[in-house]
Amino acid sequence: MNQRLVAHRVSFAYDPQTPVFQNIDATIESGRIAAIVGPNGAGKSTLLRVLSGLLRPVTGTVMLNDKPLHGLHAIDRARLIAFLPQIINPAFALKVSEVVSMGRYPHMGAFATLSPHDRNVVERCLHDTETYELRSRDFMTLSGGERQRVLVASILAQEPELLLLDEPTSALDLHHAHEVFVLLRRLAGDGYGIAVVTHDLNLAARFCDHLLLMSQTHQGLLADGPPECVLTEELLSRAYAASINVCAHPITGSPLVTAEADTLERSR
Amino acid sequence: MKPTMSRTRIIFALVFITGAIGVASLLIGTETLSPEQAWAEWQSGRPIRECPTLSILFYQRLPRTLTAWLAGSALALVGCAFQALLRNPLATPYTLGIASAGALGAWVATVFIQGTVLWVTVWTFSPIQASAFVFASLNALFIYLLAARNPRMAPSVLLLTGVTLGMLCNAGILFLRYLAAPDRLVVMDRWLMGGVDVVGFDIVRTLLIGLTPCAILLLAQSAKLDQLGFGTELAASRGVHVGRLQAVVFFVGSLMTALVASTVGPIGFVGLIVPHSVRAITGSRHRILMPVSLFCGGAFLCFCDIIARRLLTGETPIGIITSLFGGPFFLYLLTRKRFTDWET
Ligand SMILES: Nc1ncnc2c1ncn2[C@@H]1O[C@H](COP(=O)(O)OP(=O)(O)OP(=O)(O)O)[C@@H](O)[C@H]1O
Ligand SMILES: [Mg+2]
Repeated sequence: MNQRLVAHRVSFAYDPQTPVFQNIDATIESGRIAAIVGPNGAGKSTLLRVLSGLLRPVTGTVMLNDKPLHGLHAIDRARLIAFLPQIINPAFALKVSEVVSMGRYPHMGAFATLSPHDRNVVERCLHDTETYELRSRDFMTLSGGERQRVLVASILAQEPELLLLDEPTSALDLHHAHEVFVLLRRLAGDGYGIAVVTHDLNLAARFCDHLLLMSQTHQGLLADGPPECVLTEELLSRAYAASINVCAHPITGSPLVTAEADTLERSR
Repeated sequence: MKPTMSRTRIIFALVFITGAIGVASLLIGTETLSPEQAWAEWQSGRPIRECPTLSILFYQRLPRTLTAWLAGSALALVGCAFQALLRNPLATPYTLGIASAGALGAWVATVFIQGTVLWVTVWTFSPIQASAFVFASLNALFIYLLAARNPRMAPSVLLLTGVTLGMLCNAGILFLRYLAAPDRLVVMDRWLMGGVDVVGFDIVRTLLIGLTPCAILLLAQSAKLDQLGFGTELAASRGVHVGRLQAVVFFVGSLMTALVASTVGPIGFVGLIVPHSVRAITGSRHRILMPVSLFCGGAFLCFCDIIARRLLTGETPIGIITSLFGGPFFLYLLTRKRFTDWET
């Protein structure tokens, strides 16, 4: 089924004096990847929390398929929308396979064990994120990037229709970051709707349909559109309050973003 | 996906151990009872009260064994739940000061209730136990109301509130000790060492009726506690009502602790070492960890009670035994297994 998560003129403030953003419109829908980009503290994680229903907007509405998101029962919501927080601190040691099977929670009763179907899903998600070899390792002993891939697997195991991922590739090496975006592209092809927060503008430019550029100084969206329209030197320089250069990637042709490329002095 | 030890083997071992310790606890004591003697008396058809062996068995050993088992299993279960709730490996049922409040209640009753009133019972509770229970429950309520005033009721807020209130109660106890008559001091010190030396089934019935629904409710939260271990955000996004879960676990756990602390006294150490020992075998998934801890806690306290009855000519307070025997065993475990991988 086609899912549409629409934020309409949402504003949010952790404390009433300092709004994080105001009057943002955003749409996450099946088959498309939206990247949320912008400098640190711009409110990307906050927007994702609002979209996932964890925070209620101060003004504006978040609608899932034209019904208010907050009217939905938490478990029903979890079956449709999965959210990967930016920072996760596990309290106790679990095996990788256990961490991934925890993603099945919204599909199980309080006492239910994993069904064969659940196990298949878990196994598939381990393969999809190239973490199958890690499955009997202790989660706490993994490297930062390995942990992140396992967490992505556990989010996928939730089998939602909409994915909200907060910096899923921040600790990943070049290859694995690329693989995660290839996976997201494939999932979008399968009908998933995806919103991904990332600081890797070049990957976002290559793989995402749609970019939302946030900026703290504008308390909201500075730009919103396909990569070529958002990733311009003018917009980015304003958003990051720095000199940003954009050229076409010599091989892929998609926008290639570099910071301070015209600053001549080198740091070494 | 596969637990560290196969589930059927765990269950089989547990049933066996519990059964064996239970039987041992019935037969071993200040006097060792012989099964043949008991069987002969049973065959004779006389009323139980007139048979020396059977009456000890039924009116002393059985309620005592059951009390130890119920208290031990409750403490171990609440220990698991509180460690997850507070995200802290050091948490025990008594960490939040609920037992201190109970002890304060017991002291208040001893010091202020005079003469014959002391031996009147409230339902199946003695006034000391009743007062301990009321104080412990009020303390739990107070902790929650205070902690909930903090905008982000983080585990650390709950923990610090509980520990602080516990210290206040301890100060109150010291003050009452200072005021109390010397003969009362002896009575109270004995209470503070804990004991499961109950006679008759009144306490057993109270514990059974009070603890069973609470234990079922806590066990039903096990999958949610797993989710909570990965942070409130992820848990909430997966459909766990985090605030509700915290409140349920806190109040149900506190109620169980209050019941146990007011009937058998402070032996909360069980709630620390049993869950951690079990964790080393089963892993940290609460769906397995909690029921296994429940059984092991019961068996462990029964075992300690047997030793308490046999160690010296009289009875050694069980609180001393749990620490004296559990402590070194736990220290041994700490050197064997990786316990460092718990992050708070
Ligand atoms: N729980 C909170 N309470 C108060 N203020 C908060 C809270 N979380 C975030 N903020 C503030 O809100 C603003 C937006 O934070 P947010 O985490 O959404 O930024 P972000 O765009 O995700 O940044 P980053 O790229 O560093 O992850 C920041 O100024 C931050 O300090
Ligand atoms: Mg962020």
